[in-house]
Amino acid sequence: MLLEPFRQPYLRRALLQVALLGVLGGVVGVHIVLRRLAFLTEAVQHAAFPGIAIAFATGTSLFGGAVAGAAAAVAITIVLSTRPRVDEDAAMAVVIATFVALGVLVVSRRAGFQADLTTQLFGRLSFVTPGQVAQTALVCVACGLGLGAVHKELVLVAFDRAGAEALGYRVARLDAVLYGAVALAVVGAVQVVGAVLVLSFLVAPAATARLLTERVLPMMGVAALVGAVGGWLGLVVATEASLHHDVRLASGATVVLVLTLLFVAAGLVRGVRRLVRRPAGVGA
Amino acid sequence: MSRLLDTMSTGFFRRALLEAVLVGAVAGLVGVHVLLRRLPFFVVTMSHATFPGVVVAGALGVSLVLGGFGAGLVLVAVIVVLDRQRVVADATVTGVVLSGAFAFGVVLASARASGSRDLTAYMVGSVLTVTRGDIVATVVLGALVVLVLAALHKELVFAAFDPQAAQAQGYRPGMLDALVMVAVLVTMSVAIPAVGTLLALALLVVPALTARLFTDRAVPAMVVAASAGAGAGFVGMVVSALWPVAAGAAVALASGGGFLVALVVRGLVDRVGRPAPGRVPA
Amino acid sequence: MTAVPLALRLHDVHAAYDRRPVLEGVHGDLAFGRSLALIGPNGAGKSTLLKAILGLVPVTSGSIEVLGRTPVLARGEVAYVPQIDALDPTFPVSALDVVLMGRYRSIGWLRRPGRADRAIALDALEQVGLSARASTRFGLLSGGQRQRVLLARAIAQRARLLLLDEPFNGVDATSTDAILDVLARLRAEGAAVVLSTHDLSIAHLACDDACLLNRHQVAFGPVPVTLTGERLRETYGDRAVQLVAGSTIVQTD
Repeated sequence: MLLEPFRQPYLRRALLQVALLGVLGGVVGVHIVLRRLAFLTEAVQHAAFPGIAIAFATGTSLFGGAVAGAAAAVAITIVLSTRPRVDEDAAMAVVIATFVALGVLVVSRRAGFQADLTTQLFGRLSFVTPGQVAQTALVCVACGLGLGAVHKELVLVAFDRAGAEALGYRVARLDAVLYGAVALAVVGAVQVVGAVLVLSFLVAPAATARLLTERVLPMMGVAALVGAVGGWLGLVVATEASLHHDVRLASGATVVLVLTLLFVAAGLVRGVRRLVRRPAGVGA
Repeated sequence: MSRLLDTMSTGFFRRALLEAVLVGAVAGLVGVHVLLRRLPFFVVTMSHATFPGVVVAGALGVSLVLGGFGAGLVLVAVIVVLDRQRVVADATVTGVVLSGAFAFGVVLASARASGSRDLTAYMVGSVLTVTRGDIVATVVLGALVVLVLAALHKELVFAAFDPQAAQAQGYRPGMLDALVMVAVLVTMSVAIPAVGTLLALALLVVPALTARLFTDRAVPAMVVAASAGAGAGFVGMVVSALWPVAAGAAVALASGGGFLVALVVRGLVDRVGRPAPGRVPA
Repeated sequence: MTAVPLALRLHDVHAAYDRRPVLEGVHGDLAFGRSLALIGPNGAGKSTLLKAILGLVPVTSGSIEVLGRTPVLARGEVAYVPQIDALDPTFPVSALDVVLMGRYRSIGWLRRPGRADRAIALDALEQVGLSARASTRFGLLSGGQRQRVLLARAIAQRARLLLLDEPFNGVDATSTDAILDVLARLRAEGAAVVLSTHDLSIAHLACDDACLLNRHQVAFGPVPVTLTGERLRETYGDRAVQLVAGSTIVQTD
């Protein structure tokens, strides 16, 4: 039963896809967690949605549409948050709200609107194409190379921004590299897992790893592993339910649910560990 | 134009228009408190957290809005117990757990046959099908929210501005935070029929931000934000009557467009009002 | 209970943050009408002690008595003046709004500030020399002016114990003088003051007692006998420098 996904070709593709997303989560997700960029990721994932919707409606490249949407979102967020009276959180909230509305609006002009919308919001992991898998692999490589090249600098900035500035780093440029990688990762994943679930795919494994290890590089390894294992388990559950119990579960969402449960479990493990280690006599 | 008048004269459209305007006004007002407490991210997470509750309610055949409200209350309780500063400051944990809750809702919904349509209506609203009951609920709950926020206005502002000093005076900032969160939750629940949870953000944050561009004071900001929200509701509905687009999305987009216009106006006013030394207008 | 109630009793206080001990063995009293300086390097536990007096940080052993009660029960009669950096400069409140916040407890729930409260708040602003800036947004004031507004809030609250976290940090000379004046007046009226600072001259000017802290208490007592060269060296280590005239200064970063 646990090997079920390996037998069907389309499931093998899905499995490969979630494994790649796991690696992506390890490479990019750890930075998202270290820099607390979850909200930015949320903004980008929602922003890619109208891009895809417009590209779909006009028959151009979906990937290109997603990139354009994400780039526009990041640019608008940065411009807005330089305005006095508008902080970054609020700027991202505006971007999310407006871009999602735009996406829904574009999709709603088409017939069969509800099914389309559902697909775009939640993805169709089981129907991933070889081209999409290749695309995700490319994104993985690009993000890995880009972030790997400035790895230690990024960690420094995450830890001590002012210190990095004092050392003469152009912090804004490093930010741009990181934001670009986040946007690329989101765009690479969004078509497969849908606009509202990307965040979990990228961040949940990294957040889990953060709970289990205290060093950056091991954290990336653990995150990739957690992402891949969670993806596999999620696919197993979804496949099992549909093949043997006649219950159709959305596969992407099932994977996210498994990833979340792994995160919660890691939190519990850590909590128990801390309780055990807790020095006696403190409390009261 | 005549098509617009035809559409507008129908009963269901007038109900929808009224609902959109009411929801916009209440959400705009509540949004000012959202901004004062830096809770925009909370609004996003709330829209995720209510989702499983809605799906469960759908499966059990009880009111979707009540289901969403129940799940949202659980979230508020968790945040109060865990201490808001920690929860909201660390968006990672919040994001992961709530996206997980959301995925749970999607999984549940996908297991049901008619999932897709319910899901869509819940996420992006279905304002043209609002009932008289929905409007009554909006009026009653909206009035309640406005009344409570007005009654506790000074304490809410104080605790948002300087929570430690408020605590030194004997207030419980955590409880006041929770109150605002519940107000957000109630507002979002009444907004579901009109714009859905995914788009409620457009009314709960954006009009308040629009207002913030023009005033430094909380009470005038509320007036402006409520007007901007109601205006977005009106414009969005008219647009959706003219062109065949999703009404909820049109309302949300009108709200975003209003912010954009306000931003441009503000920029022009700044430029005309006080030409900053050294900055020559192009 | 002692016969004469004290503003503050610290009885062998230990406090911890996240289970890590950050403060040990703080012991001493503060009478009404007197002021206490908490002195020590960054991370010495000054802010933690202030928060413990507010009941915001749990005391792991020993006890704190505020106005004869537990810290939590004494809230309301204690005014806390945070570091100005801790407050959001974009927050939409005017200087007068901030001062009025000191009145909220006595105004009570559901009621708006009345004319009497406004008069008290305006008077408090007058005392810190800022009545002309009453309607200016808090965030548009200079650092020193913001500090004075927060002090005015404490005045308007009519608190019997004031806790000030680094009230002279980033404050210009005019504001420093104004704050010193106000603190002297409040003490003359019987209020007790606790302030944290790393400026020894301020301690000499503004305080009767001093508590030297570096994770543990080095000394606690009247300023002249507490702020000695030897004890400062014990608190600050090598950064304490003996001057020829016999006084001691501390180099800060």
